Amino acid sequence: MLVDQEKCIGCGVCVPYCPAAAISVVDEKASIDQEACLECGNCFRNDVVPCPTEAFYEKPGIYEEPRGIRRFFSDPTTTHSVTKVPGRGTEEVKTNDVTGRICRGEIGVAVELGRPCLGTSMTEFEKMTTALAAIGVVFEEANPLTQLLIDKKKGIIDPKYKNEKLVSAIVEFSAPIERLTKIMETIKEAAKSLDTVFSLDLICCFEADGTLPVLPVLQNMGIKPRVNSKVNLGLGRPYKIIRQPQEV
Amino acid sequence: MTHTLHRRGTDESLKNDYVLLVTAASGINHVGSLDKLRKVLEVIWEVGPANVGSQHLGTILQGYSLEEIKAALNEVPRIRCAFSSKEKVREIIRRLKELDLGISVTVEGPTTDIVEMSNEMEIKPHSVNLSLDIWGKKEDLPSEEILEFVTMCGHGLVSQYLVKEVTEDVKNGKKTPEKAAVEIGIPCVCGIYNPDRAIELLQKYVPQK
Repeated sequence: MLVDQEKCIGCGVCVPYCPAAAISVVDEKASIDQEACLECGNCFRNDVVPCPTEAFYEKPGIYEEPRGIRRFFSDPTTTHSVTKVPGRGTEEVKTNDVTGRICRGEIGVAVELGRPCLGTSMTEFEKMTTALAAIGVVFEEANPLTQLLIDKKKGIIDPKYKNEKLVSAIVEFSAPIERLTKIMETIKEAAKSLDTVFSLDLICCFEADGTLPVLPVLQNMGIKPRVNSKVNLGLGRPYKIIRQPQEV
Repeated sequence: MTHTLHRRGTDESLKNDYVLLVTAASGINHVGSLDKLRKVLEVIWEVGPANVGSQHLGTILQGYSLEEIKAALNEVPRIRCAFSSKEKVREIIRRLKELDLGISVTVEGPTTDIVEMSNEMEIKPHSVNLSLDIWGKKEDLPSEEILEFVTMCGHGLVSQYLVKEVTEDVKNGKKTPEKAAVEIGIPCVCGIYNPDRAIELLQKYVPQK
């Protein structure tokens, strides 16, 4: 984003709204550190930031590569050309009863780098993807981040994106439930080298008796899920929870 | 993907904080779902949400009306809203089951309570997305108190700096907790931020004289 210096009156009302602390007031004018700006669009939304002169505007070419990925990954009001849905990943568990993306006997994993608060660079993202690719993880094709990988088998990101920073980005994949321990150990190890944080998700289907088969595995690893979770009630149709052999 | 999932807080603070997501699946059942989701929005409104929004427009906290939010739903519609009571969530689940629209319904909140309510209504939950917490360079994060506010916007648009500034205004008597709670939540464009919970947090962390 940019600030129209003619319009800005230097009131500073915008400053605390920036999650990346990229806005400062210098010589009675607001300015944006373009390196720090994640293009989330907060300051540009007049119904969010009460800028009295509506001085913020979109940088020309903001939707073009490589900087455009800041916009698509950081601003939830934009829609990815790959997934056709807004947001930074897929609809995961939200439509899982209909998509059957994760069926019984499988797990879905999401590693959301940069969240909360710290943001992430694409270099940090690559640390996680290379570690997971090394144990044979296959990244979710419908996740927009996967499309930025130049070598999906090795988890290597296209070098043109390496200097870009985002509010957050999600490494997303599914795997047989038997691989849960190895995957968690790999993520735990990769976390040690990161210069940011990540929030970790695990999707699993309920068994017919209502149990969750991942819970004893997590318990053995000393990992305790938080008290709150996101539950798909299974009211969608067509309903899918068993993967047919020919789909594997 | 994960944005309603990682709300921080104590068990007590989270016990009446729920997010309801009603989502058409792109390419599978989204065709013809627009009117169904507009109907769902009406039902949600009757039950009484704490917040409702559409990331294509904004939220009631920003001043948009239900009619404007309904009109802004697009061809792959999705509803995001927050509730501040278990009883209201029970009622909305009951009514969505009764409507039987065939559109995916997901509830974020205390897992045991959601499963218990589902069982009461003979609903068998399909799947769950578990939060396995925050990992990595956690020493760079702001305090847990700040995180309780910012994680109510899953897209990271509620800035920690705004929370600090507005909390300070409450402390100094410049703003009421009610006004401050809305101000903090305005950047959350989807409508999953819970202003009722934010008021409780402000009253807890900034005791009123």
